[in-house]
Amino acid sequence: MSATADEPFLQAKGVAKSFAGIMAVHHVDIAVAAGERVGLIGPNGAGKTTLFNCLLGVVPVDRGVVQLAGEDVTRLPIHLRARRGLGRTFQRIELFAEATVREHLLIAERTRRGDGALWKDLLGRGRPKADEIERCDHILGLLGLAELADAPSEHLSLGQGRLLEVGRALMTEPRLLLLDEPSSGLDHDETVDLGRTLRDAQIDRGFGVLLVEHDVEFVSDFTDRCLVLDAGRLIAEGPTGEVLASDAVREAYLGTMGTVA
Amino acid sequence: MLLGASAGSDLLRALVQGTPAGTVYALLALGLVLTYKTSGVFNLALGAQAYVSAALYFQARVSWGWPIIPALLVSVFVLAPALGFVLERLVFRHLRSASAVAKLVVTIGLAVALPAIFDLALGFHSIAGQTPVGIIPGGATVFYNPFGVYALSRNELMAVGVAASAMAGLAVLFRYTTVGLHMRAVVESPRMTELNGIRSDRVSSFSWALSSLFAGMAGVLIAPRFNTLAAPDFFNLVVIAIAAAAIGMLVSLPRTFAGGLGLGLLIAVFQTFLPRWSDSLPWLATVRENLTPAMPFVVLFAVLVLWPAIRRSRAASDPLAGVEPPPPAPAATTRSRGLTVATRVFAVVFFTVTGLVVFFRADASWMFLVTQAVILSLIFLSITVITGLAGEISLCQGTFAAIGAFASFQLVTHLGMSVLLAALVGAVIAAVVGAVLSLPVLRLGGIWLSIATLAFAYFFDSVMVKLSWVGGGKQALAEGTRLPRPLLGPFNMNDNRTFLGLSIILLLIVAFAVVRIREGTVGQTLRALRGSELGAQSIGISPARARITAFAISAFIAGIGGALLAIQQQNVNYSSNFSPFASLFWLVLVVSLGSRTVEGAMQAGAAFGLFDAVLLKGAVIGWLLRSPARIPSVFPLSGTWRFVLFGLGALQFARHPEGLVENGKRGATEAVDRWLAARRERSPVVERTTEPETAA
Repeated sequence: MSATADEPFLQAKGVAKSFAGIMAVHHVDIAVAAGERVGLIGPNGAGKTTLFNCLLGVVPVDRGVVQLAGEDVTRLPIHLRARRGLGRTFQRIELFAEATVREHLLIAERTRRGDGALWKDLLGRGRPKADEIERCDHILGLLGLAELADAPSEHLSLGQGRLLEVGRALMTEPRLLLLDEPSSGLDHDETVDLGRTLRDAQIDRGFGVLLVEHDVEFVSDFTDRCLVLDAGRLIAEGPTGEVLASDAVREAYLGTMGTVA
Repeated sequence: MLLGASAGSDLLRALVQGTPAGTVYALLALGLVLTYKTSGVFNLALGAQAYVSAALYFQARVSWGWPIIPALLVSVFVLAPALGFVLERLVFRHLRSASAVAKLVVTIGLAVALPAIFDLALGFHSIAGQTPVGIIPGGATVFYNPFGVYALSRNELMAVGVAASAMAGLAVLFRYTTVGLHMRAVVESPRMTELNGIRSDRVSSFSWALSSLFAGMAGVLIAPRFNTLAAPDFFNLVVIAIAAAAIGMLVSLPRTFAGGLGLGLLIAVFQTFLPRWSDSLPWLATVRENLTPAMPFVVLFAVLVLWPAIRRSRAASDPLAGVEPPPPAPAATTRSRGLTVATRVFAVVFFTVTGLVVFFRADASWMFLVTQAVILSLIFLSITVITGLAGEISLCQGTFAAIGAFASFQLVTHLGMSVLLAALVGAVIAAVVGAVLSLPVLRLGGIWLSIATLAFAYFFDSVMVKLSWVGGGKQALAEGTRLPRPLLGPFNMNDNRTFLGLSIILLLIVAFAVVRIREGTVGQTLRALRGSELGAQSIGISPARARITAFAISAFIAGIGGALLAIQQQNVNYSSNFSPFASLFWLVLVVSLGSRTVEGAMQAGAAFGLFDAVLLKGAVIGWLLRSPARIPSVFPLSGTWRFVLFGLGALQFARHPEGLVENGKRGATEAVDRWLAARRERSPVVERTTEPETAA
């Protein structure tokens, strides 16, 4: 681990984004250090997904700056942010159809190495090498997917698909992994399993995590620090336990629950 | 001819002159927008529908001697809506959840097949130089001369009147009738509309019938402008209509109408003023004859590339699209080891025997056809790369091939370069053009990418080919675009047998390279992108770079194949080999036989070169009966059949994107494997099955 908690890996300053005149994200500052586990919670429509997309480059910000390891990446496209160490998973899983589990990791490994010249393919050097397969299988073992290495990704359950996304992201050696509602669509036991596996992998690899999540239990188990977003603004920030117990957070959640009901 | 002295009256003249064509373009564009709005289908077969009505009208009037009214009723008001209705019922209703690109391919298949089916069914042959008749007696005579600047014929005035009343009728329909309200609702959300108790498929049928009626009307109205009734001209019309529809963003009917009319006027204005401008701007002089017909394609390309809003309009598809399972893996990856070996042995034996027969027994004409099949297989591998690997539908592969061919011709003629080297350089030039073209086009994605490639193909066809540094200009018109056969060491390629050998070797090299690309990093990257663009970007894959690579590789392969085809025929023969319509037929052929595999491309090449001679002319039956004299008299069948068969074959692209042959192969493989498995455990199976039989 190169970065310490003092110098944040991901830093967003004054990020704002509106859609058709409605402010989805309102001047938000966040900072996440490499190796840190941070939660991002908030009621429906709080702007979590929009903020996430702004950090990743899926949508352009209206105002503000996004930095990775001190470098301004506000204008960089998704894939260049990914190459600078920003990994992610998806709420609705985005796997590569027609590829096996191991192939998902192999292509990520190739992309990380930047080792994809056409002439190498033409000379037959495009096939996976032993050390690449070994690296992939190591990660698959870490995530408990080793036995499924040759299975088509369509055969995976939703939970396994999520883990495969984590594995694919890990192959790029991310400094920070953005997890987008990893528990959605999973039942309680599956969520607990996923959390345990993620935690083991995180300790083993030392990447940072920014977790967007509805499941408060998951967030309190998994993260040390927590940010709360409501109506596009950051309303609370601090150690997870304290934040979840605070009045402001309860109000934000119960308030919207009241209006929804 | 009246020609005003001032530019003002010239402008007026151009506007009057352009109005009839403009209203007909608008009519077609409305037909296009109607089906796009209500069923998400971007219907490239609309021109074929227009052709069918125009041809039936022509046939009824000229060959059967019908009066105008019944001919018009049957061809436009009965046949056209019925055709639209049938297409929706039989084809598009079942494709609701298919991707927009899959639907586009299906309409291309129909664009190829429909005119052919019609020609076969009615025995219709368009006769060169026989001008189609209009829908008013004495249509070609002058009827009205507004402002004294341009004399409108009765036909032209009729076109304006009919198109304007059709537009007015459509406005009334949308605003004041229940079905119009339903149509607007279906556009917003088919599923919501159904939940409100409206049968959205009925609305969809209605829009198809209406769209087809508009197409038929446009076909009959525009026909008198052509010297000869021919299906490709009507396809050109659709490309113009697409430009108009793109101006209307594919949603706004009034803007679409204005777009069509505007294009007609713009073309007329250019026709009037371009010669004058080119007096002062010399560089215009070389393109001035060609820029006018190219205007719609230039406008279309410009709208697509420069109008950012158009990209956002691509979301018009069923909300359930995308939940379809991906196509199954190719048969070759699932079959058992023994079967794989058996297949390979069979293939090697089959090709060796065929090769030997062709090499030592075939006469010159068969040798020519086989060589052509080999070269086309090579060209079709470019479709394997762009469509099979990258998942993009390119409609300008013929243009890439033509660039390779023309470049070799120019290099050999002007620089005296050796032919094979010129072919290689030509392919590199094609690759560069492919890469450059892909830069603006790639941001479009989906069907707009395909439409932009189509616009490029037509632009090349109407402007570039006529430039002397591309197509050879006047000199080439007189002498042809000649290319010699190469001499390679001791091998003289003027010998057809040696040239066939060279073609086979090149095909094998390219096929081998395509397999390696597919299995290598480039292929895996493209596959990842096709599987999930967001997922691929999240691990650092650059979509633009990967797709530019795919375009460049594909254009390179097409370019080298195009050069080879020109060398075989010792002439580029642009219009018979590489026209935009040829690109469409190639795509349809490869897609219907299998765009995902190298074998698919080879089967398509064989089908292109040999289908006519072997099956349609009955050579196989003659060979089986051991005498050409015994070939039944139904042979030779018309060559039109191949358009019917492969066009209809492309209809299954939405269901089986892997292609017919691949699909059949997988079925056969599974059947054989099941049979083998059953044999292995035969004895217990037999005992168990005999029991119920005796009981019964």
